[in-house]
Amino acid sequence: MDKLTDKYLRKRKIPSTACSGCGLGQAHKAMVVAIDELGFDFYDIIWGTSIGCAGRQTFATWKGDNFAGTHGRVYAIARGLRLAIPVEKKLVLTVGDGDAFGIGFNHLLHAARSNAQMTVLVCDNLGYQSTGGQYGWTTPAGVKTDSSPYGMFEPNWVQTEMDILNVLKAAGATFLARHVSMDGRPLVESCKKALQNNGFSLVHCVFPCITNFGKNALGSRNTVNMFNWIKNRAAPLGEEKEDTLWRTGIYHDAINTRPEFSQLMRDKVSEIQRRYQDEGSH
Amino acid sequence: MKDRIEILASGFGGQGVVRLGQIVGTAAVNQGFRVTMLKSHGTEQRGGYVRTQVVLSKEEIDSPLVEDPDFFCSFSSAAYKQFGHMMKDGVVLYDPAMVEIDESKPFRQIAVPAKDMAIEKLGRPIYANIIMLGALSAAACEILDKENMLATMLSIIPKFKDENRNAFEIGYGMVTS
Amino acid sequence: MLAGCNAFAGYPITPATEIAEAMSVNLPRIGGYYMQAEDECAAMHLAIGASLGGMKAMTATSGPGFILYADPYGWAIGCEIPLVVLNSQRVGPVSGITGAPGQGEFYNVRYPTQGGNYETIVLAPNSAQEAMLMTVEAFYLSERFRTPVTILADQLITDGFEDISVPETDEEKKAMGMRFMERKAHPGPEFYPPTDEIDIPPVVLGVGTKALCSDWTPTEEGYDIETVEAQHKHSYRMIYKIRNHKDIISRHETLFLDDEPDIIVVAYGSASRTVKTAVKKAREKGQKIGMIRPISVWPFPDELFQYKAKYLSVELDYDGQMVREVQRAAPGDSEIHFFGKCGELPTVAELHETFDKLLSGEQLSRIGWEREAW
Ligand code: SF4
Repeated sequence: MDKLTDKYLRKRKIPSTACSGCGLGQAHKAMVVAIDELGFDFYDIIWGTSIGCAGRQTFATWKGDNFAGTHGRVYAIARGLRLAIPVEKKLVLTVGDGDAFGIGFNHLLHAARSNAQMTVLVCDNLGYQSTGGQYGWTTPAGVKTDSSPYGMFEPNWVQTEMDILNVLKAAGATFLARHVSMDGRPLVESCKKALQNNGFSLVHCVFPCITNFGKNALGSRNTVNMFNWIKNRAAPLGEEKEDTLWRTGIYHDAINTRPEFSQLMRDKVSEIQRRYQDEGSH
Repeated sequence: MKDRIEILASGFGGQGVVRLGQIVGTAAVNQGFRVTMLKSHGTEQRGGYVRTQVVLSKEEIDSPLVEDPDFFCSFSSAAYKQFGHMMKDGVVLYDPAMVEIDESKPFRQIAVPAKDMAIEKLGRPIYANIIMLGALSAAACEILDKENMLATMLSIIPKFKDENRNAFEIGYGMVTS
Repeated sequence: MLAGCNAFAGYPITPATEIAEAMSVNLPRIGGYYMQAEDECAAMHLAIGASLGGMKAMTATSGPGFILYADPYGWAIGCEIPLVVLNSQRVGPVSGITGAPGQGEFYNVRYPTQGGNYETIVLAPNSAQEAMLMTVEAFYLSERFRTPVTILADQLITDGFEDISVPETDEEKKAMGMRFMERKAHPGPEFYPPTDEIDIPPVVLGVGTKALCSDWTPTEEGYDIETVEAQHKHSYRMIYKIRNHKDIISRHETLFLDDEPDIIVVAYGSASRTVKTAVKKAREKGQKIGMIRPISVWPFPDELFQYKAKYLSVELDYDGQMVREVQRAAPGDSEIHFFGKCGELPTVAELHETFDKLLSGEQLSRIGWEREAW
């Protein structure tokens, strides 16, 4: 991705600070490709990140403005920021599964409710990996981690009957998709749709963590094994098999159907301001 | 006039005690006084009292506490018991339907049957606090201007203007100087 | 709003709700935004977001909400984001008594977040008029120092009712001592100089400066770094940009300190109101009593405690908080005493009784309590 790197990313952060073999780069790259294909320049986008591998390794990679929020709160910061920055700027957030679906879930739901423009790319390494590998809210059943030594037996949020994307849909999100990082083109296309939504978009992207998930769940840090393990458990929506863990594709596409949060605030405020000025002038 | 006038009102939640304090305070501001008002609230659920303490002065007010009330509007026996002991030479205005006074006290105590009059003359007990306000206005007529008090009350409570005006006048008429 | 605040984020809580309500009425009329958040943690983050985008933002809460500010407060300190935070103290711990004043957050506002390695600016008004002035001042200081500034109020100030005079013209504002500072955006590329400099514009996102700000220890450009050297530089800045410019922040009121008073009463916020009346009346009786009222409570005004005297710290808490600072700041051979009450102001009568005891050399004790520890 040399040309793209040059155009959008900071040299200082290349090569990436992630572990070698980590799949995060695939998800990250897909978003950058989508941005490029839509013709955005680096100053059109403000890039926010969270805590954890997904946030730490993508922070300050973007050539334009970057911010890294406190754990789970980046959605609230983004909403405040959304009001202050020019409407044409886009917010892109690369965050982890623990950040979005755990500690920050309340804020994420309110971002969805208000339909604030932000393209949230949840880079899911299937648990808490930057702290050494504990289970999270998307860790597949039966998987051993440092904090589920007998195998993950708690329900998770990617099970068909309690899919977190359904929760987000009910909460008002206007674009939702799920992928695995090796999806390639379909992942890029989902990111593009997400970016074209003037509202709340979330792309959930599972990627292989070699260092901790690979070691704990699969017993080795073999990159190829880990990539195949995820790839074999993913299938496009409608083509799922019995052992499919991640049904990939677009879950909900209602882009540009609801007023965007900051636009609504701006409109309401100018309406009130006008009304008050009119009254004041009488 | 004293350099500092202290007014205390206390009763239960829902009796309009805080509202009364607000009206008196705002009327005093309109008359050029410096004013402080404290309200103790949030105790209604626990069956406690509500209290407002209003201090008026021509000078800047340091302590906003009422420690030596010039006027005490008592809406309940509990309030009377709790704060009556602070009285030295002020005036107590009390509603005899709710408050049993200690007749042996040396200070002036004026019965203001606000609740009964509100029901009898205006058909609803909610006007009792405005009757009490009228009585207070009369008792404090040397300090607080009647017309200003009435106008302030009507601007703060824009609804049921006629009833409130009547209530105020009924209360005012209950106190003779 | 006089200071140019155009964004307010809050979460309903007694006794700060009136501020949120007033902002929801008034801000839209001048084109500003009122945002109601899902919790206090989000409220302060929303305000930070607005400030990061170049707005002048504020949030207000009470103790149980202020503890949820711990997370964003640290972020705002580290990223040097100007912001005004109001904490109206009620009676704690936890929910305590909602509609009564306390002063149990004296240290909480000094250490509003974890990790140490920072100084905080806290202003404590004692009246509605001063609350207006100090809010304007808080905006001014937050811009100059690139940091959140806390207004430490209490229930009597935010829930009480007082006449105030609001300036209309620039001359009137100036005459009241109001100072103003416009928001500017830092041009980069070095966003955090490793010095104690102030008057540096803050990081603003969305204006094309390639800004970087994060929760990690930053390099001067804003990249995340985990080295002891970088952390040392950043800490130096967090601490000394405030310590070395304390003169800009400091403000206080003193009374009758010129004749070597026997007792110096120390109080801040609404507790100082009855103290002032009590001290003035005691003077009328011929008692040599003075008063120190810190208005900027953090950094603590050590320089005011030069006289050897019997110091009496009057606070709306029972555990004795500011008294610890008085003990630290006062000359070593001073006597330090404490009068604590919570939920209600000390009365003038109670204070006079205390003065009399101290003047006659009697030990202080409080009903139902052990002899005071100070
Ligand atoms: S710990 Fe796992 S997720 Fe994190 S950078 Fe390393 S490989 Fe990637």
